[in-house]
Amino acid sequence: MIKRSFKGGVHPLSRTHEGKQLTRNKAAEVFEPEFVTIPMNLHLGAPSEPCVKKGDIVKERQVIANPVGFLGLPIHASVSGEVVSVAEKQQLGPKKVMCITIKNDKLHTLEEPMEPIGTCETADPKRIVQRIKEAGICGMGGAAFPLHVKLTIQDEKYADTIILNGAECETHLTSDFRTMLERSDDIVAGLRAIMRAMNCENGVIAIEDNKPEAIEAMKKAAEGKPGVRVVELKTKYPQGSEKQLITVTTGREVPRGKLPIDCHVIVTNVATAAAVKSAVEDNRPLIRRVTTVTGKVKTPMNLLVPIGTSVHDMIEYCGGYDGEVAKLVAGGMMTGPAAPTDDFNITKAMGGVVALDAKEAEACEEGPCIRCGRCVSVCPIGLNPSRIKQYCDANNMEGAKNNNVMDCIVCGCCSFTCPAHRYLTASFKNMKDRITLASRLGGKK
Amino acid sequence: MTAYSVTTAPHIRTKESTTSIMRNVLIALTPCLIAGVCFFGFLSLFVVAVCVVSCVFFEWLFEVIMKRPITIKDLSAAVTGMLLGLTMPVTAPWWMCIIGSAVAILLAKQLFGGIGDNFLNPALTARAVLLASWPGRMSGAAFVSPNFLGKVDSVSAATPLAPGAMGEGGYSILDLFLGRIPGTIGEVCKIAILLGFVYLLVTRVISWGIPVIIVLTTGVFGWIFNGGGITTPIVSVLSGGILFGAVFMATDYSTCPMTALGQIIFAFGIGLLTAVIRRFAGYPEGVTYAILFMNIVTPLLDKYIKPTIYGEQKEKKEVAKVA
Repeated sequence: MIKRSFKGGVHPLSRTHEGKQLTRNKAAEVFEPEFVTIPMNLHLGAPSEPCVKKGDIVKERQVIANPVGFLGLPIHASVSGEVVSVAEKQQLGPKKVMCITIKNDKLHTLEEPMEPIGTCETADPKRIVQRIKEAGICGMGGAAFPLHVKLTIQDEKYADTIILNGAECETHLTSDFRTMLERSDDIVAGLRAIMRAMNCENGVIAIEDNKPEAIEAMKKAAEGKPGVRVVELKTKYPQGSEKQLITVTTGREVPRGKLPIDCHVIVTNVATAAAVKSAVEDNRPLIRRVTTVTGKVKTPMNLLVPIGTSVHDMIEYCGGYDGEVAKLVAGGMMTGPAAPTDDFNITKAMGGVVALDAKEAEACEEGPCIRCGRCVSVCPIGLNPSRIKQYCDANNMEGAKNNNVMDCIVCGCCSFTCPAHRYLTASFKNMKDRITLASRLGGKK
Repeated sequence: MTAYSVTTAPHIRTKESTTSIMRNVLIALTPCLIAGVCFFGFLSLFVVAVCVVSCVFFEWLFEVIMKRPITIKDLSAAVTGMLLGLTMPVTAPWWMCIIGSAVAILLAKQLFGGIGDNFLNPALTARAVLLASWPGRMSGAAFVSPNFLGKVDSVSAATPLAPGAMGEGGYSILDLFLGRIPGTIGEVCKIAILLGFVYLLVTRVISWGIPVIIVLTTGVFGWIFNGGGITTPIVSVLSGGILFGAVFMATDYSTCPMTALGQIIFAFGIGLLTAVIRRFAGYPEGVTYAILFMNIVTPLLDKYIKPTIYGEQKEKKEVAKVA
C-alpha cells in the first residue's frame, strides 16, 4: 500500500523516532498522587461551575462541577477523598482559574455508576452522544473540544467518515502510541460507538509509520469490525493536524474557514475513542489519562494518572529532574506551551510534559529575513510566512489578514525551519488573536 | 519553586543558520576559485581576495557609520565578494575590484536595507556597472587564454561567444567543458561549477529548479535562434557565464521569487533573455543583464503569484458546481 503524506511539513528531530525513543517502550504505569487539583477549564468553552465545597467528602467519579454554556462539560472527581480547597490557581493560561483540590484517600470509593445503556454495538445511537457529554469527554489530543458538540451537527450536514487520529506527530510524546498498544480493542469499540451515533459507515484509524507496533495492534483489533480500517501514513510533522490528516486519509480538503464536518468528516483522537468505550460500556466518566513524562527526567515514563495530578508530583515519581532543567514544555516541542513552573495540573488533553536542559532551551536570536523561501516550502497550508511576518512586524492587521494569516494553523513549521531564526509562528498566533478580538469587539458595537 | 524560561513554541529550531548557509556557498565556490588559479595563475587569487576583503570592509564601514548592528559575521558580504571576484577577468586592476565591491555592498545591498532587502544581486550589479564603465577591461581583450592544460597563452583572445571563435582552430566542446577558454576567473571551468552545484544541492542550500530551467531554456532558445545544429545548444550552455550565473547568481535568495511557480517563470525568463541578448544584441554575453532584469521582475512575481491555500481549490470547485 502506498503510504500517504501531505504538502510541506518538517522532520523536527529525526525522520524516524522524533525523540519518542525515550518512552516508546514504557507501558503506562499507574501513579496515585496524594492530591489532585482539577482546573474547571479542562475543556474548551466556559469553565464548569463547582458544586462541592471545602470539607466535602467526594467519591471517585462523582460530579464535582456542572457544565456551563453550549460547550460546557461536567467534571468528575478523579479520586475519592476530602475536598481541601475550592480556589483560584495559576495554570498554564494567562489568567488564574478556579480549581478543586481533593486529598486522595486512596480508597477508590466509587460513586453509583451511570445507568447502563448497552454496549458500543447495541446502545441507542441517541443515548451515545448524551453519554459522551455526561462522561465529560473532550478531545484528548490537545484542543480539548467537547466531543458531544462535535457530534451534534445541523440537519443538512452529514458525516460519512470518522477519523481517529493516531498520528501523534509531535516530538517526544508516546501516550497515544501506548494507548493504541494497550487499549486497541477499546479504541475500535469506541470508534464503532461514534460511527453508530453518527450513522456513518467508514471508520479510519490513521497512524504514522514510525509506530509499526501500533499499526499492527490496531489492524488486529479492527479485524472483522464493519467499516473500520487502519491507514498507514508516512511520518512527517504536522501529520496529526486535523486538516492535514483529513487530506491524506480521504483526499478531501476542509474548505477555508469551515469545519471538518463541511467535508463530511469528524476527527478525534484515539485516546478519546477509548474514553468513549469506557463511558458507553463501562458507564465510567473520563477521569484518568496516559501522559508522557520525558526529556531531562531521571526515568522517562508513561503514567496513567487521575486528571488534576500535579506535574511536579509526576516528575518526582519519575525520579526527579536529570540535571539542571531550564524549560518545561507541556506537550510536544512544536506546539506545546512552556510552563513557568512545574506547579500545574494534568488536564484531559495534556499528552505529555518534556523537560529541557539549558542547551536545548537556549533562546535563539532573531536575524533579518534572507528570503530563502524555506518557510513557504514547508507551510502545510500554502501561506507565505515571510510576507505575513512583514505585516505583523509593521503592526498591519489588514495586510496580515489579506495575506491569509487567519488560515495559519500555528504548527510551527516555518519557525522551525527558518535559518534566520525568526519568530514567525509566535507573531502569527499573536496576530490571529488580535484579529479575532478586534472582530469580536467590532461585533459588539 | 524554580521558574523556567517561557518562550513561544516551537521549542526546537533547525541547526541551519544564515551563517551556515553562507559558509556552504563559500565552500561551493571554492572549486571555481581553485580552477581559476590553475588556469590563470595566482593573480586570480589576488583579484578574488581584494574583492572579498573590500566587500567585507565596506559592509563593516557602512554599518559603523549608520550605527547598525555589524553583520559581517553572517558571511554574506564575503559571498558577495567571492562572487564578484570570480566574475572578473584576471587582468582586472585592483582599483576596479574595490570600486566594484563598493557598488555591490553600498549601492546594491546596504542602501536598500542590507541582507534580504536588496532587489538586485549585489555582485551582478557591480559587474554590470564595471562592464558599462570599463568595457575594455571587463571583456574581450581583457580575457587572457588559460596557460594550463595545453593551450598556448596569448595576450588576449576572443571569448568563444564572439563570432567565428568556434570551430576550425578554435575551441572544442571539451575545451569549453574543462575550461581551456578565455573568460572570467570563475566561469570557465564547468566541472568546478558542477561540483559546487552538487554541493549546494546536497547541503540543501538551493534546489535544482532554477539552475536547470535556466540552462535548458538557454540551450533550447540558443538552438532555435542559431538555426539548429546538433552542437549549438551544448555550446551555448557551456560558453560564457551561463552555468556560473545559473548556479550561483540566479539562486541568490534575496533576488529570486519565493514560490515554486514564480521561480519557474524567473528561470525561464533568464534563459530566454540570455539567448535573445546573445543572438540579437550587440553584446556577446547576456547572462548578467538577463539575471538583473529578472531580479527586477521578482517583486512582481512574488506579489501576484501566491501559493494555493489549503481548502481554497475545493472551495472554488464547489462554488462552480452551485453556479
